[in-house]
Amino acid sequence: MRRSLFHVTPSGASGFVFAGVCFLILPSFLGSYWLSVFTSAACFALAAFGVAFMYARLGMVSLAQVGLMGVGGWIHLRLNYLFEWPFEVNLVIAALATMVFGWLLALPALRMRGLYLALVTLMAAGGLEILFATYQFPNGGEGFWGVKTGSFSPFRGPVIAQSAESYLRYVVAVCFLGFLIVEAHRRLAPGRAWAMIRRSEAAAMAVGVNVTLYKTWAFGIAGLLAGIAGGLLAGSLGLLDDGTFRSSESVLLFALAVVGGARFWLGAVITAVLYRILPALLNTWGVDPDIAYMIFGAGLLHAVITAPDGIGGQLYGLAALMRTKFGTRGVK
Amino acid sequence: MIEIQSILVRFGGVIALNSVSAQFSKDVSGIIGPNGAGKTTLMNVISGFVSCKSGSVVVDGQNLLNLSPHRRAQWGLRRSFQKEQIADDLSVFENVLVQLDFRMGQTRENALEVEKMLDAVGMSEHANRLGAELSGYERRLTDVARCMVGSPRLIMLDEPAGGLSVDETHQLGNHITNIPQITGGQVLVIDHDVELISDICKETLVLDFGKRIAFGKTAEVLADPKVKSAYLGTEEVSA
Repeated sequence: MRRSLFHVTPSGASGFVFAGVCFLILPSFLGSYWLSVFTSAACFALAAFGVAFMYARLGMVSLAQVGLMGVGGWIHLRLNYLFEWPFEVNLVIAALATMVFGWLLALPALRMRGLYLALVTLMAAGGLEILFATYQFPNGGEGFWGVKTGSFSPFRGPVIAQSAESYLRYVVAVCFLGFLIVEAHRRLAPGRAWAMIRRSEAAAMAVGVNVTLYKTWAFGIAGLLAGIAGGLLAGSLGLLDDGTFRSSESVLLFALAVVGGARFWLGAVITAVLYRILPALLNTWGVDPDIAYMIFGAGLLHAVITAPDGIGGQLYGLAALMRTKFGTRGVK
Repeated sequence: MIEIQSILVRFGGVIALNSVSAQFSKDVSGIIGPNGAGKTTLMNVISGFVSCKSGSVVVDGQNLLNLSPHRRAQWGLRRSFQKEQIADDLSVFENVLVQLDFRMGQTRENALEVEKMLDAVGMSEHANRLGAELSGYERRLTDVARCMVGSPRLIMLDEPAGGLSVDETHQLGNHITNIPQITGGQVLVIDHDVELISDICKETLVLDFGKRIAFGKTAEVLADPKVKSAYLGTEEVSA
């Protein structure tokens, strides 16, 4: 009667295959520019998965995800220049610290929902944007902020991934683990509690769910994923630019998560493709990358009006239709 | 034993419950009254969603008003809502299991208990179906099964027969009657369906405009002229 925690759904199986292709094949065919673009896209896919899961599982809109990525990236860079610790240790500390930051952000926001919650998180993203623009990201300088002018100090990447190609593989593997963390949560008690909270907070309390705890937990998970994504992005470039973490980018990432399909892992991948790869593609073709914003706007209208499950949901629907038509089991 | 003492609830200038008291001692008891009588407000006070200005709710010696709503659920209070609260993206099994998730480290025991209660309401063969795929009656049965797990002490069902057919209401009534025997908990039912209440409840409280107008054995209460007048109104005879 009870399904095992470790059962593999058709969607999960396709996720395994997709991650395998990205890990084994994709990096071998990309030049240095595209390796950088795809690495960045993978980082943003992880961050988008965090914000999408909060929206899909709890109905909470967080517009601070890219700002939280900046927090993770800042901490990772600071630790890198301050201590001789391995990349992974810095990444874990940065992710956990961002998770704590996510919790702190959640505290005033817990009594709010809908538009008001979105506004509070947007204000937080705005505050972070100002901090990043004022103090910049550490680059090997002295003092608390660790910023110096002129040449940057070298950044230590992971020992097992020194080349751009291997670093993309590394990022794909970490992203895959991040996706699994969320999926494990979805299948265990937190996932059930979140489903009840999404249904109705009163109903959740009536079944013994501590709504404050589980909402805070969700913010923490989203913060953790953003911290990992920011740390990985810092590792990709060796330095970060405050322009990457503007509050408007958080709004755009959330909007694209809705376009991609917030309920599905594929939605986060589509989000990252739209957010990072499409502008790079337009740039390569000699087209103004800002045209991507028009495509995003059209995509958002399409999602809001006709496809609440986004492009990912439409693809799954199409797959289910084809399986039904050809007499095989439908996708769930 | 459910002891409700002098519950007073105000919403601004409106007195929703005016010093309501009752002691429910039977296995299955009912609360009836016309729309706006304060039935659901009383249930919300007991489950912690509405604060009362004064009064107490003591069940098995525990004053529930000292506990937060989720703590009351963990203590053994169960309730269903007028609209059943089944999560569409969880299976039937998971929708019931969520009630036991606060019992950490008892995975196997929890699963066995869920299976037992799903079996008791005839939903075991639907355990792996998603909430979104269920009919209204199946959703209601899942809600009832959820209220039955975890050794509940008090189970409150708010209009459980709302929107059900006569046959379904009859079957649901049988399930509700069996709840005390299966779980050991006391059941409190709110419903407009007087026939259902008279079938399954041994004692009944009648509210009207936030006041208690009758309380006692269901048959006697339903025969009370004040209750009839509250439900049917009084005839106005012109001179």
